[in-house]
Amino acid sequence: MCLAKNNKQFPGLIYLFSQTATGQNTERASIFFSRSCLLLFQPVLGTGHKYYLQFTTEDYKTRENVGTCLAIVFYLKRKPTPTVNIKCTYTKDQKEVQEDDHRFYQKIRQHTKPIIGSYIPDSYGNIEPAFESAWALAVVGSSYIMWEKSTENLGYFMAQVKHVKQWISKDDSIDFDYAVLLHEIPTQEMILCHMRVIWIPNHPLKVKYFCSSENQSAESEDVSGMESGSADGILNERAANF
Amino acid sequence: MNKVYFFFLNRDQVLRIRASSDDQIDKLQLLETLEHLQLDFWLHPSNPALPVDIRVPFGSLQAVRAFLGYHDIEYSILIEDVQVILNEEKQEMISNQRRERSNSNFNYGAYHSLDAIYKAIDDLAAEYHGLVSKLQIGESYEKRPLYVLKFSTGGPDRPAIWLDAGIHAREWVTQATALWTAQKIASEYGNDPSITSLLDTMDIFLLVVTNPDGYVYSHAKNRMWRKTRSKAAGSLCVGVDPNRNWDAGFGGPGSSDQRCSDSYHGPHANSEVEVKSIVDFIKKHGNIKAFLTIHSYSQLLMYPYGYKCTEPADYRELDTVGKAAANALTSLHGTSFKVGTICSTIYQASGGSIDWSYDFGIKYSFAFELRDTGRYGFLLPADQIIPTAEETWLGLKSIMEHVRDHPY
Repeated sequence: MCLAKNNKQFPGLIYLFSQTATGQNTERASIFFSRSCLLLFQPVLGTGHKYYLQFTTEDYKTRENVGTCLAIVFYLKRKPTPTVNIKCTYTKDQKEVQEDDHRFYQKIRQHTKPIIGSYIPDSYGNIEPAFESAWALAVVGSSYIMWEKSTENLGYFMAQVKHVKQWISKDDSIDFDYAVLLHEIPTQEMILCHMRVIWIPNHPLKVKYFCSSENQSAESEDVSGMESGSADGILNERAANF
Repeated sequence: MNKVYFFFLNRDQVLRIRASSDDQIDKLQLLETLEHLQLDFWLHPSNPALPVDIRVPFGSLQAVRAFLGYHDIEYSILIEDVQVILNEEKQEMISNQRRERSNSNFNYGAYHSLDAIYKAIDDLAAEYHGLVSKLQIGESYEKRPLYVLKFSTGGPDRPAIWLDAGIHAREWVTQATALWTAQKIASEYGNDPSITSLLDTMDIFLLVVTNPDGYVYSHAKNRMWRKTRSKAAGSLCVGVDPNRNWDAGFGGPGSSDQRCSDSYHGPHANSEVEVKSIVDFIKKHGNIKAFLTIHSYSQLLMYPYGYKCTEPADYRELDTVGKAAANALTSLHGTSFKVGTICSTIYQASGGSIDWSYDFGIKYSFAFELRDTGRYGFLLPADQIIPTAEETWLGLKSIMEHVRDHPY
């Protein structure tokens, strides 16, 4: 059923999934993008390329299937961001989703000290239990970045959380500062992005970010500290929908 | 007795002694201290449950026999003609000891330093010395040896299969998988009919760490390092993408001419010594029938071409072989792989190794991209190493069997 030809990866779609949930006034922080399958690739003469995709999402921790989506992703010529029509069926209902999100939220709020860490997962693929939630939130936050940066021919995966620092906020929101490494396909570059993620359940994520390429100019001992001052110095803000 | 003397004239003997008490053990330990006898204890006296084997020089035989007889210590002649088989048996015993040591000590389900991998390679070659030998095909930019394990049951110029891993430093599951695979091939010979028949007619060459400089750098400085560590005058950036450096559509789309890029193709094809060493080896060998390279991640099994988006002449066969291999792989743990040409499966990329090997005439050229599909990416947890290696093995075996059964 899946086509082998032009079977591109769409890692940015995790945000899409979140977007549809937004339509129902909820934000799904605890889900993870899974398998995608290209059903059809349709060049539209003179206009662009249409991709018919099916993909599933899974719970970031239990890996259980959470929903299946069908999406039509239409890349117009000369416009990097496609238009998307998406329909999803969820294995859980609205109430269960909200409960999931609240559980996720509580897990983070439970920490008496701010969560501060580096290299998650570590070089050996380990994620300390204490950092699991922060990592999952980084995945979702990164997907916003990926959605904005990706094009028809450029995609991303979150390779690693280089640093995470939680801000204790006066209100009920959870607030994290991240340095994440995005693996860029097909260039194979590691893109370093600084990202601020603020979230309250039942609201969309608030993500601000700034990205630079890790590999430019001179090498240093700790490459994480490098900000080359490239042209990417635009502070992007993904504002809340409310 | 006289007959025995005559038979063993001027020859050392190995005696196997069975002590029946701690007291007898004490006596044997005393024997050990008598240096003038020049006894060579193969198994030392420790407790009565275990035999004591001693190689006794001919000149000391009488004295030792007298000693044993006096203390009523039972013994038998283990080896009558030491000169002929001494080396081989001692070697076998050392290997047995090493086998016990290495099997119980080396953890294939963990990520290791380059030094630990190189030691494991040595241990493997020693353990299976009849089948496995270590060759050096060159040196990396920073002068680290490039070691290839050769699996051969003899015969000159046999058709051979080439396997390599770790051309990209950060793809740690690949070096780990290759090491596990080396142990698997060695242990399967004589046990698995398929591998046995394969090795009875073909050789296997396995390069476990294709890019040792990069690998060391990914441990010491930058876990996400991909390229070699070659330096060029006038550039602050280091390294070339070794999988854009092969002489196949070199410099074309899908590779970068920027030195600082992670897909920088290098100043010219084969500029990287790691690549050139393989090319030279394969050309010199002249009888390589399959070229299999292992990468991560994405869960793909691909065949040429990458530098152009057209199908190779052997498309149908390669696709069939690839699909069969992917099915075999999936059958173990359910890990699904996509199969296709490089260009249609991931992206157009020039200067890749299997494009070179295919255009060179090695029909069965395949590239694996192992687990996972992006969740952990390069940082695959160590507990997935062995499951990954096990499933990949089924895929590799499937391809190798086809190569064995379709000589060309």
